Amino acid sequence: MPKVVYVDESGVERAVDAALGDNVMASAVRNGVPGIVGECGGNNSCATCHVWVREEFLDAVGAPGDLEDDLLDLGVEDRRPGSRLGCQIEMTAELDGLVVDVPPSQY
Amino acid sequence: MLRKEINDLLTQTGPGTKMGELFRRYWQPVLLAEELPANDCPPVRVKILSERLIAIRDSDGNYGLMDEFCAHRGVSLWFGRNEEGGLRCPYHGWKYDYTGQAIEVPSEPATSNFCENVKLKGYPLVKLGDVLWTYMGDPANQPPLPEWEAYTVSEKQNFTSKRLQECNWLQALEGGIDSSHVTFLHSGNLNTDPLFKGSKGNEYNAGDLKPFFEVVDYEGGLLIGARRNAEEGHYYWRVTPWVLPNFTMVPPRADHPMHGHFWVPIDDDNCWAWSFDYHPTRELTDTEVEAMRAGKGVHSANDDAYRPLANKDNDYLMDREAQRRGETYSGIHGIALQDSSLQESMGPVVDRTKERLVATDAGIIKARQKLRKAALALAEGVEPIGNRPEDQKVRSVAIVLPKDQPFVEGIGEAMVAKPGVPQTTV
Repeated sequence: MPKVVYVDESGVERAVDAALGDNVMASAVRNGVPGIVGECGGNNSCATCHVWVREEFLDAVGAPGDLEDDLLDLGVEDRRPGSRLGCQIEMTAELDGLVVDVPPSQY
Repeated sequence: MLRKEINDLLTQTGPGTKMGELFRRYWQPVLLAEELPANDCPPVRVKILSERLIAIRDSDGNYGLMDEFCAHRGVSLWFGRNEEGGLRCPYHGWKYDYTGQAIEVPSEPATSNFCENVKLKGYPLVKLGDVLWTYMGDPANQPPLPEWEAYTVSEKQNFTSKRLQECNWLQALEGGIDSSHVTFLHSGNLNTDPLFKGSKGNEYNAGDLKPFFEVVDYEGGLLIGARRNAEEGHYYWRVTPWVLPNFTMVPPRADHPMHGHFWVPIDDDNCWAWSFDYHPTRELTDTEVEAMRAGKGVHSANDDAYRPLANKDNDYLMDREAQRRGETYSGIHGIALQDSSLQESMGPVVDRTKERLVATDAGIIKARQKLRKAALALAEGVEPIGNRPEDQKVRSVAIVLPKDQPFVEGIGEAMVAKPGVPQTTV
């Protein structure tokens, strides 16, 4: 099971074993990681599962899709080069060890 | 949700705002021709994009739209005398022609050229179909006159109305690109409204509460496809075109006239819901026009100031019995009022930082982003889209397609408005 590490604003790391094919939002919500809301249930509609993907993983994770890109522009407070919606990052074996920073707020 | 600064950007359209500057690159409907019915008729107050203006039709039939207030000491020219080739302020007799140029200041000596240097802000006012249109931007950027199909067909093929909507324009627009609500809010009317009933599409509409949205870029804006289950192996697609900034069309039903809207900001808290019906290949029947005048379909029954008779001051004539019986889902009668009652209930400008969007809001998300980008780009000197005649030759489409066929491929050129060619409808 690939591991995802969520880092909050004070630097606290929470590692979660994600099921293959699960996404970064769902694994956080299932494991009670604070700061990831996932209001729309992973439908790429609400922008409340925003994460900053660490630079070293950006190539492997890839760029946001079209609608996701719009949501990042419209709905998140502090868009950065590593900004993604967690629900749109599907966990694969290659992403094992993925580290993402969780923004202080999703609203 | 939408960040506050973007909500402000999209909803504020007064002079000098970014969205206001974008709107000022497009011809907008401003009056029904019936509001200026004859030469030298009374002037009409107009408020649009937060500017207070006065419209006249002079002795020679020239239409003009100018600053509402006299250049002298600021009285409203609504009190003016429209006669002998211009509008005369009743205070001291200053007279303006239809462009806003002062042509007489009677107190000045006959030899004075004072009035040559007095000009009110003025905008062109042009009749197309039964509607008067204006362009409020820099004349250097004035696009060609609009070529919406609804206004290039004969006047007997078109019926246009307008109604006051007491909320920001974007709330109204977002209703126009949200096919999802039809299954609920308008469910009572699909099979009873004379301008909607009798379409096989209504059955698909009522039978699938979970439409799937697919949104694609198109010439002047977006094509918003809403997919619902049809017969085995097929989907029913309703394709709504949105052309920047504020034109939308409802997908057709059977051979009824097709309808659409312009959502025109009056100020940031009010808009005009312009509603048109037209048939691309035939004149409207007397029965259809009668129904439209009576407020059926996308129209409404209004008072003389074009405010709906059912409005927020009388709770839109809420009918709880009809709601209970299921004749109308919300208890409000009439498709147009069902929409505006709910959109007004959100408040003048809804706080979009608190909304909770779902997958069926994809069209709304894409449209907001396109508006935002266009407004920001214009501020950087990038020309907008949607104001070129080729962007405007677009139609809505209703079609049943095999499940494996993408709608953009399946509709072919059905969304292109072609003179004499019937609409693609179910």
